[in-house]
Amino acid sequence: MTLGRTLWALALLLLAAVPLASGWAGSTAWALFAGAAVVGLGAVLGARRVGMGGEPAVALLVLIGLFGGYLAARGAIGGGPIEVLRDSVPRLLTAARPAPPTADLLMPGVVVVFCVAVVVAVSISGAGRVLVGPPIGAVVLYAAGALLTAGAADPHGLVAVGVVVVAVVGWVLLDRWEHESGVKSPVGPPAAALSGVAAVALVVGLLPSGEAFEPRELVRPPVIDVAVANPLPRLAAWAAQGDTELLRVWGPQFPVRMVALADFTGATWRASSLYSPIGAVAPPDLPAGKRTVTAEARVTIGALAGTWLPTMGRPTATSLGDAVIDPDSGSLVLPRGTTPGLTYEAVGEVDRPDDQELTTAVVPDSTTAARYLALPNLPLTLAQYARDAVKNTTSPYERAVALEQVVRLNRVPDAEAPVGSSYARVEQFLYGPDGETGVNKGTAEQFATAYAVLARAVGLPTRVVVGFQPVAEDADGVRVLRGVDATAWPEVYFTDWGWVPFDPVSGNDSGPSAAAKREVLNRLASTTITPPPPPAPGPPIVLPTPAPEAAPAPEANRLWLVPALVIGIPVLVLLVLAAARAARRSRLRRAGAAGAWAHVLDHLHVAGRTPPRHLTAPTIAETLPAPATALAVLADRATFAPAPVRTADDTWAMARQVRSGVSRAVPPHKRLWWPFDPRPLWRKR
Amino acid sequence: MTTTAGPAVGEQEIAAFRTLHSQVGDAVEAALRGKRPVVDLVLTALFAGGHVLLEDVPGTGKTTLARAVAGALGGVSRRVQFTPDLLPSDVTGTSVYDPRSGEVRFRPGPVFANVVLADEINRAAAKTQSALLEVMEERTVTVDGVGHSVPNPFLVVATQNPIDLDGTYRLPEAQLDRFMLRTAIGYPDLEHEMDVLRPGSGAGAVAAVRTVTDPARVATVAARLGTVHVADPILRYVTELGAATRSDSRLRLGASTRGLRSLVRCAQVHAAAQGRHFAVPSDVQGLLVPVLAHRLVPTREAQLAGTTAADVLAEVVASVEVPRPTP
Repeated sequence: MTLGRTLWALALLLLAAVPLASGWAGSTAWALFAGAAVVGLGAVLGARRVGMGGEPAVALLVLIGLFGGYLAARGAIGGGPIEVLRDSVPRLLTAARPAPPTADLLMPGVVVVFCVAVVVAVSISGAGRVLVGPPIGAVVLYAAGALLTAGAADPHGLVAVGVVVVAVVGWVLLDRWEHESGVKSPVGPPAAALSGVAAVALVVGLLPSGEAFEPRELVRPPVIDVAVANPLPRLAAWAAQGDTELLRVWGPQFPVRMVALADFTGATWRASSLYSPIGAVAPPDLPAGKRTVTAEARVTIGALAGTWLPTMGRPTATSLGDAVIDPDSGSLVLPRGTTPGLTYEAVGEVDRPDDQELTTAVVPDSTTAARYLALPNLPLTLAQYARDAVKNTTSPYERAVALEQVVRLNRVPDAEAPVGSSYARVEQFLYGPDGETGVNKGTAEQFATAYAVLARAVGLPTRVVVGFQPVAEDADGVRVLRGVDATAWPEVYFTDWGWVPFDPVSGNDSGPSAAAKREVLNRLASTTITPPPPPAPGPPIVLPTPAPEAAPAPEANRLWLVPALVIGIPVLVLLVLAAARAARRSRLRRAGAAGAWAHVLDHLHVAGRTPPRHLTAPTIAETLPAPATALAVLADRATFAPAPVRTADDTWAMARQVRSGVSRAVPPHKRLWWPFDPRPLWRKR
Repeated sequence: MTTTAGPAVGEQEIAAFRTLHSQVGDAVEAALRGKRPVVDLVLTALFAGGHVLLEDVPGTGKTTLARAVAGALGGVSRRVQFTPDLLPSDVTGTSVYDPRSGEVRFRPGPVFANVVLADEINRAAAKTQSALLEVMEERTVTVDGVGHSVPNPFLVVATQNPIDLDGTYRLPEAQLDRFMLRTAIGYPDLEHEMDVLRPGSGAGAVAAVRTVTDPARVATVAARLGTVHVADPILRYVTELGAATRSDSRLRLGASTRGLRSLVRCAQVHAAAQGRHFAVPSDVQGLLVPVLAHRLVPTREAQLAGTTAADVLAEVVASVEVPRPTP
């Protein structure tokens, strides 16, 4: 194994391990992977020194690697070696993203890098060994990284391009270097071009799809039953202790959310009790919008007690390895409970809908969004109130804006108002008798609940989120969230745009959709959004959920992409190769006798009869059918005689005659690959 | 060579040379049956302006070959039997006093011929060998400060007996390098040997060689053949072959630049003999062993292993990529 080969292989492996290492937090993973690659290559060198063959070396070193992995992870994963090794990858896939750099979670990556390095080292050790091992090893590591991070580690394919470049540069330089030093390297160039084309095709074919394959979707993540308290009733308490510092946040100015409440019983909101590790992807029942922004925040818990972990947007990663999440609502929970001083980092995605598109957006059908439309035993009066509130609206978004206005008008926030989310409290809040406590007064709980009930009644999928309104950061860049900042707000789901927040408490018109709201409000006459008169009381009637507007079919299953790529990429590669061969043929045909002879040599190449490189054209022609000898003489003349040289015009026909003669000796089924064989493309002569 | 080369040789001249070469070859082969390859090599050396070393056992037709070549050319042939007591002046000639004229005159030695057969050259002392080799290189004999040019064309065919080496003076490498070609005649095959043995067929064979040209024409043609086109890829190929011999660990001495130059020169003649006004790689490959093998010195280890210079050259050829027709 030459130094050049070793360094080239190491560079490829280290580069390809970068996306894989990004699956773990911090730089520990990459450092360990680099060490594993170096140790793997070095171990093979050592094995070679003591005279061990390639296959025994691979077997022994891989066993050592697996055993080392077992030793490293057995503390965290119970069971015997097989159980530890078997469960390590699922544990990694269901861990937080990026995974914490603990021994049990790092073990699969280190073992993979080590084993790949061992196999790669054996594949390149010894003169004349093929040099396709390192690129294949790099592809394995890159693919592992892409799978682990669902393509997020290298979204633009820069590392992939880098791997291809390093591979091709290595091939070219090593081929030349070892050729000059007398080491045979049957690389070579064939594999270089084929792999290059395949890699480019993969990059071109996969990256633009924008839909990364997510292996976590294929497994059922573990579900943890966590008893959590609904924080909605505590809003009044927090409001009463307005100056109490609940938490500190470092990050952008987004609302900080604790929990999204989707299940309404008619009496109260219920939080989900089933959670999964944050890294486990069970896709939410309603997918995120197509325009999102990423918000990273660092949070330090103050007086906020409980299990909820405030985050910005829908959490996608956190530094707390034992945090769990409800994938539908995006609510993050720490089962052991938060304590003052607990600091963590969280990354979340926030839907940023397009204002103009929102005005024409639709909502999912009642089957898809049943959970967010459920109103058990909805009183008829509330249903009638909701209908009256959205008269003259023409789109779901207009209904949502009109309801926000209706709930807000003539009502005031009051921390002393009675708490509760039941129909009775909502009715009292909206149109209770004058003079009664709690009429037109309430906390954010009543505003949000009233909005959610009315919105659901008119077919808008709605949920209530409890969290904190964004506050300005102080001189140190800290956003101190106090009790007075705690609030609740409703969110309405629009197809393609995700969950859109509304603010019936203050009607904050400075939000991301403020312009669209103003446009809607201007269009609707102010008379149409005044609160409707209180409906006549009547017995509670279960109102059938109104049929929402037809929504486009959910995004088609991406599974078709897999066979399409499996078939399409090879077909694309074949077409590219065939076109390149045709272009070469055309160029050779125009090149006279020398081109015709080169065409014959191309044919010998693909027929597996590549002549030794020291044989002259006439010598080669002696073994070929007529008129090979005449063609070889003409070709020699065309190349070595002083210009100008006039050769016969029928040299191409002679070449075809020779080619036919060569082909006849090979069965037709073995000739099928010949038109696509790329080897003539890099044949020097 | 006093004749200037002039413009590049044309296809008509090449065709004329091919005819001449064929006629001379046929004439010589009439005396040395079944040995056309050897005849062609000797003619190649003749037209390339070089000399030939024949390593062969006695009685294989070395003298016949030399005389037949001279006969076909219409030139003068001389034979020198090298012995330990042979003096340089016995080869080159000497000045003698003529009592009738009272003057000292130069009496030319046997080297003053178109074809000189130096038989068993390794039996003479080094001083005598050097005298001959100097004439081969300089083509002039200097006696008493006066230079005397040998005839043109001038071909020395030296022989060595590869066996029975007792009492011989091995030619040093520097002097072997002065021979353009080394080859062997070898025994004839069964059919041709029966012809030779047939009563009445062998005697007078040399005397019956037809004279098909004259020395002046041969000298002119030989000078023109130096303009046969040798493309750069061919020159690069020759250079790479030479470099490969120099870097081969089994050789103590690789090919010299003079050796490579001889290879190119012979390739030119060989190409012209094939009717081409340009050289091709097969010209080089075919002449590699005759032109270079005697110039290479295998290491002692290689010799003990039974590896010859020809073996090394065969592997060198196989390891160097030959220039092929490229569009």
